Amino acid sequence: MENKASLYKGRSRYSEMKKRDIKERIYRGLVFVGVIGIWYFGAIRIDSPLLLPTPMAIAKALVSSVTDPEILLNLSITMKRVLKGFLYALLAGIPIGYIMGLSELAEKLLGGIIDSVRQVPIMAWVPLTIIWLGIGDGPTLFMIALSGVFPIILNTMQGVRGISKDYYNAARSMGAGPLSIFVNVIIPASIPDVLTGARIAVGTGWMSVV
Amino acid sequence: MELTVDAINKTFISNGNINQVLKDISFEVDKGQFISLLGPSGCGKTTLLTIIAGFQKPDSGSIIVEGKKVVKAGPDRGFVFQNYALFPWMTVKDNILFPMKQIKMPKAEREERLKVLLEMSQLEGREGLYPHQISGGMKQRTALVRALATKPSVLLMDEPLGALDFQMRQSLQDELEEIWLRDRTTVVMVTHDVDEAVYLSDRVIVMSTNKGQIVEDMNIELDRPRNRKSIEYEKYKNQLTIALTKASPEMTED
Repeated sequence: MENKASLYKGRSRYSEMKKRDIKERIYRGLVFVGVIGIWYFGAIRIDSPLLLPTPMAIAKALVSSVTDPEILLNLSITMKRVLKGFLYALLAGIPIGYIMGLSELAEKLLGGIIDSVRQVPIMAWVPLTIIWLGIGDGPTLFMIALSGVFPIILNTMQGVRGISKDYYNAARSMGAGPLSIFVNVIIPASIPDVLTGARIAVGTGWMSVV
Repeated sequence: MELTVDAINKTFISNGNINQVLKDISFEVDKGQFISLLGPSGCGKTTLLTIIAGFQKPDSGSIIVEGKKVVKAGPDRGFVFQNYALFPWMTVKDNILFPMKQIKMPKAEREERLKVLLEMSQLEGREGLYPHQISGGMKQRTALVRALATKPSVLLMDEPLGALDFQMRQSLQDELEEIWLRDRTTVVMVTHDVDEAVYLSDRVIVMSTNKGQIVEDMNIELDRPRNRKSIEYEKYKNQLTIALTKASPEMTED
């Protein structure tokens, strides 16, 4: 009886969700068409492919570049770079984030340096990294990693800081030692924030690949 | 004596004000006794409970459990949190197994105990679910058997039914009593609900907001399960309500 009722409720909620989904898609399509329309009429009015090309011209260019093997090759190289830089950022950022989240002292010691270094615009690093690492993949990877490492550190730290004290107390009162608390409480409780940091890091990585 | 609370003092300093929450609190609890700490909010009852648990240290005084002085939290004192504090990343089963793994209980024994606990808490068939997938009552029962998993000397409960509505509360009080009657673990429960205290406890200690002192220590001598409609039950409730009024801040102005 209870099962049937909840099943029914579940189904109606599902169909409701589907309805909302369709509505959302229609709206999104309308907005897209609207923007393209404004663009199109604007381009016709200005009538200069240099100032504002029409949407059709852009679409043609997109198709030809996506099918160009050279561009695809370069794209794959760029993707590899971003991925590599991102891995370095994870490797450095996650441990630092955990240490800073767990130790007030580490946060005080490192917090100031990290906060000031991260204010430096990423492009300002270009000359310095070329001197350090030469021309080639080095500087690019360094900058991708550098731009990604801060969101990873900060989010990981925030994630560790945000863990409810009750979880620690509960674990201790059940006999857990520091290692077990780290493995069974701190890591699983902070993973969502670590992933948020990682997601932001991929984004900043793309932006600093140039 | 299962649990001795000996001359506990605790002060907090906030905004330069010294606030004494517990002053010279002493009492003893017999093995198998179910006692309640009753008092208005701000009387320090939860602070006392967390000191017994070892989550924080008193300024002076000591807690002794089965002859051993408490220095930190440990599996000899199970704790049930008001918000359950179940690990949301573990299933019901893993939550209950967690304390047993921590004390390195052999696997066969662990599985055996898990079965008993699931049966006790009527959670059979639900052990694979995560905390967010089960009802408040089921979470409560999971938290209770998790705290009992290692057979602690003392079970500490911080308003264990505080987050539930009235009807749920009454039915869970019955379940709580039923589970407790199985092995009669010594219990210290914090509550602000007079009816809950009388219904469940062998003894009720009333604490006052004024410097956190004990204003009443009363044995409840009624057969279980208790009849809420009996005259004796009402009498205990009235006496405790009067004590609680005395313990509230309006009545203790100095």
